[in-house]
Amino acid sequence: MRKEIVLLLISVVLLPFIVRPAIATEIWIFAMFGLGLNLLLGYTGLLSFGQATFFGSAAYVAGWLLKHYGINVLFALAVGTGVGALSAALVGYLCVQRSGLYFIMLTFALNQFFYFTAYQWTSVTGGEDGMPGIPRPSLLGLDFSKPIVYYAFVSAIFLLSLWAMKRIVEAPLGKILQAIRENEVRAAAVGYDVPRFKLAAFVIGGAFSGAAGVLYAMLFGIVPLEAIGFVFSGNVVFATLIGGSGSLYGPIIGSVVFIWLSESMSTIWARWPMLLGIAFVIVVLFLRGGVVEAWHRFSRLRA
Amino acid sequence: MLYALMGLGLSLVTGVLNIPNFAHGALFAVGAYVLVALSGFIGGNFWIALLGAPLAAAFLGFLIEYLGIRRLYAAGHDYQLLFTFGLALIVPEVIILVWGPVGISYLPPPILRGGVDLGFTFYPKYRLFVMLAAGLLVLMTWLFLERTRYGAIMRAGIENKEMVSLLGIDVHKLFTAAFALGAYLAGIAGALTAPIRGLNPQMGGDMLGIAFVVVALGGLGNLLGAIAAGLLIGIAQAVVAAYWTEASTVVIFAVMAAVLLIRPQGLFGIR
Repeated sequence: MRKEIVLLLISVVLLPFIVRPAIATEIWIFAMFGLGLNLLLGYTGLLSFGQATFFGSAAYVAGWLLKHYGINVLFALAVGTGVGALSAALVGYLCVQRSGLYFIMLTFALNQFFYFTAYQWTSVTGGEDGMPGIPRPSLLGLDFSKPIVYYAFVSAIFLLSLWAMKRIVEAPLGKILQAIRENEVRAAAVGYDVPRFKLAAFVIGGAFSGAAGVLYAMLFGIVPLEAIGFVFSGNVVFATLIGGSGSLYGPIIGSVVFIWLSESMSTIWARWPMLLGIAFVIVVLFLRGGVVEAWHRFSRLRA
Repeated sequence: MLYALMGLGLSLVTGVLNIPNFAHGALFAVGAYVLVALSGFIGGNFWIALLGAPLAAAFLGFLIEYLGIRRLYAAGHDYQLLFTFGLALIVPEVIILVWGPVGISYLPPPILRGGVDLGFTFYPKYRLFVMLAAGLLVLMTWLFLERTRYGAIMRAGIENKEMVSLLGIDVHKLFTAAFALGAYLAGIAGALTAPIRGLNPQMGGDMLGIAFVVVALGGLGNLLGAIAAGLLIGIAQAVVAAYWTEASTVVIFAVMAAVLLIRPQGLFGIR
């Protein structure tokens, strides 16, 4: 495990020198988003296709407060985490009783519910145009309007949330969630209240996604409608899967690859979502198992 | 009625193949755009185009299943989802490339323009036609599934796939046929919608959510449930639209959430 952490710290330091700081910041934000999803997808075995619900709701609420009441950055972050957790509790409550296809469809349909609410509620959310003008107020003399300072702040939050997630998955709670993933019936037979633990996974995952949403809103100064759309939910699933959903570091690798790829594709061609879709299809048909597994296969070949 | 058509097709696909089909909305959009393309091609004959458009969608559905989904039955829902989702990303972009990002409006054929006086209200002819056509299609699909041998096999496939294959039926063919039929229904729903709402590249994504709601409400793999839920959603939306237009899309999802609170298995769900 030590090796991974050192590697990660090196990449956090080097990344802003390799790509623009804004993209580097986006990568870690997306990685946080992926961490939240991975608790559900990788550790509990729940394929949530509505993770953007929590990300977007938190971004809108915290963005609104930042814009109109000029609240403190840390307070905004706390609000976003809370909103993410709360919306996840709502969605989770409706979904945890179901499994398999039904579960996926419900998370998706509820995502659409939030999306259309944001789409129609133009007086608050700005509808299709998004909610612009979100400030990045300074904190303790740190001027976040400088991209590199904000990058440092986001990386710190990201490392903190990675540490928290590591603690969670290694704690008894994480083990119980994995037990549910492996065999739900047996976990219930041993005496665990499966729906309640699934709900807990939802709430925690939602909290991480919510925090990521706030950082995202402050990064771009706007909450675009896409932030709550289902394509965004799909992207994070994709990023997590290409990184490898089984491991803690999978979504991090995945979002590095994903954001970097989509950023470079979007500068090449305006129709880049098509390339993205093609990438989805190719990965699914030929490269299942993601980057981490490909790496394992590669290192086994060498050994 | 259109929602019932969409939901029926999706319910068939999810029920028989047991995959999350995020490409269902894309097939809906394909139906609509092929209708416009065909009717431009053959001198604006709406009827031939209406016949051809869903066939194109069905053929595309056949290709998708045969070349893609077939490899993924053992792979788990996450990869099936990514695959169909990838397709759902590709189709709107192709539409933008071919027809441009701006929506197109499309007029119904001359014979169906204008309205009819129903005595108590004045109703556009074309909407009446769509209602009848969709109702007829739902009925025909229903009869096909209920009264024919192939329909019986499909329903059996929803109930128990292993048993069906043990009885000597080629499940792969069954899956392909079910997907193509689902795609056909999505395509014709799209084609019928085109003259009412016009076309835009994102129309598939908007419809997809509604189709999922219909299936979730009706109960997975419950075809009659999908029809009933489609009607319910359509009526709920129409009623709300009359009083509070902005909320007419949101209400669909609100109805779903409310129903699921009371009956988590859906209105007619058994599973």
